[in-house]
Amino acid sequence: MLCENCKQREANVHLSKTVNGQTHELHLCEQCAKKTQEVNFVFHSGVSVPDFLQALFGFSTASAAPGIQQEEVCPRCGMTFSQITRAGKLGCNTCYEKFGTELQPLLRKVHGGGQHVGKVPKRRGSTVREKLELQKLKDKLQTLIQQERFEEAVEVRDRIRELEQKTGG
Amino acid sequence: MQRKEILLRHGAWMRESGDSEVVLSSRIRFARNLENFPFPHALSMEAAKEAEELMGKALTSLEVEGEKLNYLSLSDLTTVEQQVLIEKHLASPALVNMRGARGLALAGDHRLAVMVNEEDHLRLQVLMPGLQLTKSYRLADALDDALEDSLDFAYREAEGYLTACPTNVGTGLRASVMVHLPALAMTNQVQPVLGALAHLGLAVRGLYGEGSQAYGHIFQISNQITLGKSEEDIVTHLEAVTGQIVEHELQARENLRQQVRLFLEDKVWRARGTLQNARLLTSDDAINLLSLDRLGTDMGILPKGKETFTTLLVDTHPGCLQYILNHELDAGQRDEQRARLIRQAYN
Repeated sequence: MLCENCKQREANVHLSKTVNGQTHELHLCEQCAKKTQEVNFVFHSGVSVPDFLQALFGFSTASAAPGIQQEEVCPRCGMTFSQITRAGKLGCNTCYEKFGTELQPLLRKVHGGGQHVGKVPKRRGSTVREKLELQKLKDKLQTLIQQERFEEAVEVRDRIRELEQKTGG
Repeated sequence: MQRKEILLRHGAWMRESGDSEVVLSSRIRFARNLENFPFPHALSMEAAKEAEELMGKALTSLEVEGEKLNYLSLSDLTTVEQQVLIEKHLASPALVNMRGARGLALAGDHRLAVMVNEEDHLRLQVLMPGLQLTKSYRLADALDDALEDSLDFAYREAEGYLTACPTNVGTGLRASVMVHLPALAMTNQVQPVLGALAHLGLAVRGLYGEGSQAYGHIFQISNQITLGKSEEDIVTHLEAVTGQIVEHELQARENLRQQVRLFLEDKVWRARGTLQNARLLTSDDAINLLSLDRLGTDMGILPKGKETFTTLLVDTHPGCLQYILNHELDAGQRDEQRARLIRQAYN
C-alpha cells in the first residue's frame, strides 16, 4: 500500500484517529509519519533489509539526495531507482526492465552473477526451455568428456545437434 | 471446515516425528508475482483486493491429497489467531503486520500454506516432517504448475521469476531445514560446524527466523542464492549439507554417550522430572527442557511421551496456548497453563 501523503513510498505506519466518535484511518510511510505532529513514535534503528541493500548498491540515502537532474521513473509503477533502494524492493516487473543496468551490480553481489537457469513457466512457449536444455546438455557433455565416458558423450552430442537444428542455432 | 478446527489442527510436520532424529522439518518456499499487477507494497487498496480475489479463486480450485484448499482472509482473524499462524510457521510476521487485502490458503494437514499479498503476491510453502526436501520440492513444483494454469506469473528470461526484493529473484526458491543440535551445543561445536555454512551459500537462523535466537538448540538453515542455480541444484546442495550436519550431531551424541554417560543421563532425566512435575514454566524454560527431553528420547535414555517434541514446542507458545484454552491469559497464567499442558503429556 502506498503512503496516503506522498503517494511514493510504502505505507508502513497505520494510524486510527477518533474525533467526535468518528474513526479515520491513515496509512503513511515512516518519513511522512515522522513529519505529522500527531505521532511521536520511536522508530527502532536496527539494520534493516533496505539498509543492507543500500550498502550493496554502494550508497546511502543521505548521499542519494535528489539532484538537479530529474530521475528516471518506471513507466508502469512510477518508482524511481532511489525509491527502490530506499524501500529495498522494486515496484513491479517493469522495474526490472527499466532499471536493468542499475540492478546488475546488486544482483551480482547477492547472487554471484549468472542468469536464470531454473524453471520456465509453461506458457512461455518451448523456446526458452529448449535453450536452457541445450545449455544443460553442453555442460553435461563437458563433464562426460572429462570423465572419458565417450559412449554417453556421443549420445549427448547427438541430442545437442538435434536441439540446435530445432532452435535454429 | 470451521476456522477453529483448521487452526487447532496439528500440522503433519508437528504430529509425525519424521524418520530423522535431527531434522525436525523440511520446507520449500516459492515466491511468485502476477504479471499484471505491481508488487503488493506498490498496490492501491482496490488493486490489492482485486489481486487477492484472483489468487483466492485460483487457490481454492486446487486440491492437495483430495482436500480443497481453505482460504482465510487475514482481516477476518483475531490477533490470537494471527499469532497461532506465526507460531505454527504457516504465516510470517510480515503478513500479519501488513494492512489491506491479504490472506492465507491452507491444505493437506498444513503441508501446504500459501500467503497472498505478503512481500510478493504469492508465497507458496510446503512444510514436511523430517528430511524430505526433494519430496517437498516436488509437491511445491506441482502446485506451482497447477496455479500457472490460471495465473500469469511475472518472469523474464534472464532474471527468471521476478520478485519484489532482488534477493529472491530467479527461482524464487527458498529451501530450508529445521535442525535440532543439542549435542553439538553441549560440546561447544555449533559455531565451528554452522559457521562454515556461510561459505557454502547457506544462511543460519533461529527457530522463528530472522533475528530470532537459537532457542532449544533449534536452527534453520536455508539457501541464500536464488539466481543462477537450478531448483534441483539448490535442493540437492542443501540436502547434502544437512546430511553432513546430521552426522556431526550424531557423532557428538555418541561421544557424549561414551565419555559422560552418567552426566548425560542425569541431565535428561532431570529435564523429564521437571516437565512431569513443574507447576510454572516460562516459554524459555519449556523450550530448553523439551529440547533435552527430545535428546533423551532420541538416544533411547527416556521413554517416549504422549506428544511429539514439535507439538509441545508449538502448543506451549503464548498464542497457541490461549487459543487451545479459549481465553486470554496474562504471562503468569500462561506459565501455569503451559506447565499443566506439559504435565498432561508426560503423566
